[in-house]
Amino acid sequence: MNAVLEVSKLRKTFGGITAVDGVSFEVRDGEILGIIGPNGSGKSTLFNCVLGQLRPSSGEVRVDGKPTTGMRPCDLNRLGVSRTFQLLQVFPQLSVRDNLILAGQEHQGSMVSRLFGRTDAGLGDAVGRMIAFFRLAHLADEPAGALSYGQQKLLDTAMAFMAGPRLVLLDEPAGGVNLTMLGDLRDRLQAYHAERSATFVVIEHQMEFVMALCTRVLVLAEGRIIAEGAPQDIRRNPTVIEAYLGH
Amino acid sequence: MASFIQLLVSGLATGAIYALIAVGFTLLWQTSQTINFAQGEFVMLPAFFILAAVDLGAPFWLAALIGIALSVLILGVLFKLIIVDPMLKYGVMPLVISSIALSLFLKESAKDFYSAQAQPFPALVPPIDIHIFEAVISTQSIVVLAVAIATVAALQFLLDKTRLGRCMQATAQNPTLAIILGIPVRRMVLYAFLLNAALVAIASILISPIYLAKFTNGETLGTAAFLAAIIGGFNQVRGAILGGVILGILDNLSAAYISSQYRGAFPLMILIAVILLRPHGLLGRIEERTV
Amino acid sequence: MNRLAVAAVAIAVIGAVTAPFLLKSFGIYLISMWAVLTVAAIGLNLTLGYAGQISLAQGAFVGIGAYCVGLLTPAGVPYFVAFACAGLLCFGIGWILGYPALRVQHHYLAFVTLAFTTLVFLVLRNEEWLTNGIYGINAIPRPTLLGWSANSALNFYFFSLGMLIAISLATWWLLRSPWGRAFAALRENPIRALSLGLDTRRYTLMAFAIGSSLGGLSGALYAPLVQFIEPSSFALGLSFNLLLMVIVGGSGFFFGPFVGALIAVLLPEWMRIAQGYYLIVYAAMVMMLMAFCPSGILGLIERAIKAAAARGSPAARELSAEEAGP
Repeated sequence: MNAVLEVSKLRKTFGGITAVDGVSFEVRDGEILGIIGPNGSGKSTLFNCVLGQLRPSSGEVRVDGKPTTGMRPCDLNRLGVSRTFQLLQVFPQLSVRDNLILAGQEHQGSMVSRLFGRTDAGLGDAVGRMIAFFRLAHLADEPAGALSYGQQKLLDTAMAFMAGPRLVLLDEPAGGVNLTMLGDLRDRLQAYHAERSATFVVIEHQMEFVMALCTRVLVLAEGRIIAEGAPQDIRRNPTVIEAYLGH
Repeated sequence: MASFIQLLVSGLATGAIYALIAVGFTLLWQTSQTINFAQGEFVMLPAFFILAAVDLGAPFWLAALIGIALSVLILGVLFKLIIVDPMLKYGVMPLVISSIALSLFLKESAKDFYSAQAQPFPALVPPIDIHIFEAVISTQSIVVLAVAIATVAALQFLLDKTRLGRCMQATAQNPTLAIILGIPVRRMVLYAFLLNAALVAIASILISPIYLAKFTNGETLGTAAFLAAIIGGFNQVRGAILGGVILGILDNLSAAYISSQYRGAFPLMILIAVILLRPHGLLGRIEERTV
Repeated sequence: MNRLAVAAVAIAVIGAVTAPFLLKSFGIYLISMWAVLTVAAIGLNLTLGYAGQISLAQGAFVGIGAYCVGLLTPAGVPYFVAFACAGLLCFGIGWILGYPALRVQHHYLAFVTLAFTTLVFLVLRNEEWLTNGIYGINAIPRPTLLGWSANSALNFYFFSLGMLIAISLATWWLLRSPWGRAFAALRENPIRALSLGLDTRRYTLMAFAIGSSLGGLSGALYAPLVQFIEPSSFALGLSFNLLLMVIVGGSGFFFGPFVGALIAVLLPEWMRIAQGYYLIVYAAMVMMLMAFCPSGILGLIERAIKAAAARGSPAARELSAEEAGP
């Protein structure tokens, strides 16, 4: 089975602080990998390095075997890698529909063809299906800024899926979402995963969410991987428990 | 050769003045993300304060002190409290626009409330020419250089060797960390503004004898400040000094050896070259890419 | 609220069409100037209000466009060829200028455009063999379209109004297209946009280049309006003026440039009493506006309308309270 994402000896330092200290791992095709760890363990920095938001101090990132270290996020996205954000997720003054069109339009044709093509860049149907899938139909023409936090999170996830990505990195998708919405979110993620055999990598704090969703879990502490395995095993791993309790 | 030395010396003198202006500009940018488009007008204005004081009968040395004091008060304290502070919550853009409007305001005020004519400005020393190795150098250039170097040295001492200065540097490099370390960041930012106001006042006293006090001075001096800051490296005070000196020398040399009609063009082309080839300037640190 | 906007626009159009008949020739000249400068402001609005970049070169692009027409049309080149040249030339220059400057952050474009404007002024002033230097270019003819002459003050006004409307419609079309959505994304959430595959650098560059070409088109209209051009009209002062126009009207609003240009053209006339202190008053007003409502006059109006609607319904009140933080 192929590795969709390979991270080799990734290191990131800020001045005197080493946020990520030689992390290496693989993400296999079709799996849902969870990355957990106490606050300050370097999860977000790792993500940002993989996604091109930050330039790693050393190490390599490969997507489908292709080196992508330090590539700009937009180029990475065009290779089929997508992400959700913890904060700053949507375009508040645009409608939900427009948010979704935006999420997919850069993959339709060339920049010039888009200028002279249809206003919705030919995505009308695809957007409709996505709205139905995420059950946002009643909000389709509202400005995204008017949605509740949980609804914006759903929209954010929907936007990440619009271009039919191969690999989706989700940054704390459950953060700040109420229980009902959480159930919805997990349900939609699992449905999408089953339908499209997509590969997910999820950073998350909420244990229940991770245990219920992920097929494999990595634990990060102080910039290094301290454990790896199936969710149930990780839960009982003494090193992991100590890392969390020690904070 | 003699004329080359002359040009070099006078270029160093102007360059030192540019350095003062650029340093103030960089300090403001570093400590509070304020891009002060009115920096040129800030240099233009104190000369008029001084001329007004002289008109009212004050001897030059007193007028100069009054000018510096007024500058610190108006271009330092008032600028920060009335214009910068209320606008910081809206982000960088409204502040930049306001500084552009301010530059217009100050320029027109000088023109309407003092004079639209260029005013002669008394030099610090009577201009005598000294002959060194066949080169004719005016005492003015030497005094300007001396004062500018003294000011820069004092500034470096303040920033590097005093606690206050190190706190200011910390604030400039990492405001969040500075707050955590217990540094009174808001006060540091205020000091940066006061420092800038003092620097521009000194620069004004040094340059007005050469350029004459004109309400249009702001444009050229402001551009010089921006060029120097960028060429030297936007995020380093030392860079601003280097940038200013290089600019002054280049400006003088190009006026003499290249056409004087295109005097302003050479530094502008250097700017474009710097941005193309080495955007963080000669001494600047490469910044983290955020997008 | 849309009905209100449509009504306002309709009234404005009626006003624009009937006004010249109520004015003497200087008044007609003023509103022609308004139409011409609004084109430049629309361009700058694209750069500033949508792509979020400060350009201090718009005045220089107006100058390049003006000299393009001022040199070509007296030499016999048909007006619309010169007009197109002005637009294309400024588009290209904008692209070349923006390309290196937008690869770095920190509003570098502002400084590059500042330097560029000064350079353009120097070239226009010094290259007398081409531009006639400080003596300027005189007797620039007004165009004739299919037999209809735009020579009289009234006719030229309708010509420039027609061009303004055409260019506005083109801009409206641009903003409705996927490019327009991309520009909005640039303004609202560039980090998110990047992660969705949107090349923010290229779209910003495009917005700047298109904005600059509109500056050139404005210059192509300016030259036959004033019929005498010289370098100092296109120095930094004009760039500042245009920038303030866009800001005062409301950057990012489609009609912002129209409002801003109107104020900028009429203000000196209204302030005749203030005897030329009007620039000081104008600058002071801009600073106060920035402290109070950085989204300009249309922003103020929008805020007022939302506040009025909020007094009507509790849900709307909640919404406007949420959005009150800028």
